[in-house]
Amino acid sequence: MDLAFTPEEQAFREEIRAWVRANLPADISHKVHNALRLTRDDMQRWAKILGKKGWLGHGWPKEFGGPGWNAVQKHLFEEECALAGAPRVVPFGPVMVAPVIMAFGTPEQQKRFLPGIASGEVWWSQGYSEPGSGSDLASVKCRAERQGDKYIVNGQKTWTTLGQYGEWIFCLVRTSNEGKPQTGISFLLVDMKSPGVTVRPIVLLDGEAEVNEVWFDNVEVPAENLIGEENKGWTYAKHLLSHERTNIADVNRAKRELERLKRIAKAEGVYDDPRFRDEIAKLEVDVVALEMLVLRVLSAEKSGKNSLDIAGLLKIRGSEIQQRYSELMMLAAGPFSLPLIEEAMEAGWQGDFPGGLAGDAPLASTYFNLRKTTIYGGSNEVQRNIVSQVVLG
Amino acid sequence: MDFDFTDDQEQLRDAVRKWVDKGYGFERRRGIAKAGGFSREAYGQIAELGLTGLYIPEADGGLGMGPVEGMVVMEELGRGIVLEPFAQALIAGAVLSGYAPAALKAAWLPNIASGQALVVLAHQERAARYDFEKCQATATAAGDAWTLDGGKSIVPAGDQAEAFIVPAMAKGKLALFLVERTATGVATRGYGTQDGGRAAELTLKNAPASLLTLDGLTALAHAVDIGIAATCAEAVGVMDKTLSITVEYMNTRKQFGVAISSFQALRHRVADMKMQLELARSMSYYASLKLNAPADERRRALARAKYQLGVSMRFVGQQAVQLHGGIGVTDEYIVSHYFKKLTQLEMTFGDTLHHLGEVSSRMQDTAGVFA
Repeated sequence: MDLAFTPEEQAFREEIRAWVRANLPADISHKVHNALRLTRDDMQRWAKILGKKGWLGHGWPKEFGGPGWNAVQKHLFEEECALAGAPRVVPFGPVMVAPVIMAFGTPEQQKRFLPGIASGEVWWSQGYSEPGSGSDLASVKCRAERQGDKYIVNGQKTWTTLGQYGEWIFCLVRTSNEGKPQTGISFLLVDMKSPGVTVRPIVLLDGEAEVNEVWFDNVEVPAENLIGEENKGWTYAKHLLSHERTNIADVNRAKRELERLKRIAKAEGVYDDPRFRDEIAKLEVDVVALEMLVLRVLSAEKSGKNSLDIAGLLKIRGSEIQQRYSELMMLAAGPFSLPLIEEAMEAGWQGDFPGGLAGDAPLASTYFNLRKTTIYGGSNEVQRNIVSQVVLG
Repeated sequence: MDFDFTDDQEQLRDAVRKWVDKGYGFERRRGIAKAGGFSREAYGQIAELGLTGLYIPEADGGLGMGPVEGMVVMEELGRGIVLEPFAQALIAGAVLSGYAPAALKAAWLPNIASGQALVVLAHQERAARYDFEKCQATATAAGDAWTLDGGKSIVPAGDQAEAFIVPAMAKGKLALFLVERTATGVATRGYGTQDGGRAAELTLKNAPASLLTLDGLTALAHAVDIGIAATCAEAVGVMDKTLSITVEYMNTRKQFGVAISSFQALRHRVADMKMQLELARSMSYYASLKLNAPADERRRALARAKYQLGVSMRFVGQQAVQLHGGIGVTDEYIVSHYFKKLTQLEMTFGDTLHHLGEVSSRMQDTAGVFA
């Protein structure tokens, strides 16, 4: 047992740190460090910088042009990016659909889709949830009917994150109503420019349109866009969910935001109020404990051991912590988190924020926004079902 | 970064678990608790496994092992809610090895390692609570000889131990001494504790003592941190077993015609218990792996760990009783004894709010395991 990273891992970290420092645009990291609004261009600019270096698909094996890093190296890369204030890589392309294409796609599909994902040129979206299929994902109804060499897709997807920017979308579609719901699902790649695709933004409680409804009205999709076999999509989707288990805990971002919380508490004059400070101290322990949990899973992966019994805990704890730091940031500002001044959430705003601290502008919005974390990716109640299944049988 | 146990560590775990399973069953434990809460015979069996010399160098008759081995042993003793205060052997072994003059080491280390001498830390005073420097016990020097005056509270197995490690103020500065129980001016008043174990009040009146170190603050802080790490590991063992007892019960007990483990309200509570257990295990690893870090870093880490463990212990213990229903609050059934052990461990080596205060006052601008 050893808490310290090996000298090789340390050297790797230094290399990443130096590269990120030299290549992450300062205007982008400024926005991330202050929770200011990121544009599509901001996100894609950083994605393309990573893509050029070959690190956008940082979890990819070498045979597909990735760096071939192990679980610990991936973690260190993510940590250095997060601490430096890099935007979170939009995961739908490089983290979600790419591993499925690698594992179950044909060589032609791999050749066709992976380069655009690796370079950050093509923006991918996820078409999983539907109005009637949230936690019960296997009940999806969006229908794809085979007609000759194409599928005709009809139905609706929802909660499609950043779908307004999407160029391609990977979808779970119903291709059969026979047998168990899971056995009639297929995994289909759809060009969002196809006739019949409509994207409609959903304004969320923070006023932002982060997610979308996506409608399919007799959309023609070439049969060659089907991944693997028809009606086996559920298996592929589960493969996707088993990927990047530690990533979902987002502990690196939690560390960065805890540091920010301390800065905010100091600026607001509550850091030395014992009642407030103790709440930060509790969160500090929560973050250390989560990081230890993540490191245990990484260590298990490194030595090829099964860590299933604890990996399921990561999403629950990580999402609770995200909500807690955003809550404490808002509470630190107190009433000064209440003014809703849209422009103050843009970088470079020079106005006079009520109370005098422009940094207060996005605190409540972030708090509202992060309520999603315990709902998405399998709600925390579903996660508890999974954990209790492991413990109780 | 590696959280695997070596083969030797796994063998050590197996050996302790085997003894706990075969040699320290619930009925024997109940008997020991009834008879006062400490069994010299059971302590001797732990010593026969070589465990009492775990932190003592091989040259002094010990095994010369480290914090991870200490953690493994404590986890297993925790699983059996063993009453004998084995953590004291770790503390005494490490403190004497690390801080005592050669003659004192030679006189005591081999006997601690063999189990013939139980040496326990007697540092708690009513008025001081957790502030080491508020110590009211005093030490007086006459040439090379020292005598101590004062009182210490809730000394583990205090009326059974051979000697005490005692902090006292020597010329306005905290120093550590070794005091033999049978020396003149030493009196103990033993009593049972809530977990079924044993403790004593210790009174010193002009009692002869051997100087362990004049830098008492450094050594005592280290001793308590060793105690915290041991308590964390013990608590992980207790919680691990508490959860498995609860799971077994829930899969057996039927109400409304089905096993109560089928009810989602209860299943989610089990998921929350598993969460607290694994957060606790993670922080117990953290505590033991930071035990040899520089003092400041070590203190910060150990306070974080004990805070987490306190929160986890209370949750797991309370939920285990609740999930058992009526049988959970009986003396007859085993789970209440695990609950009481967890409750006692929360109050051992600093309670949860105390450690929250420590974390709070030691907070830095940075965050995380490596900060």
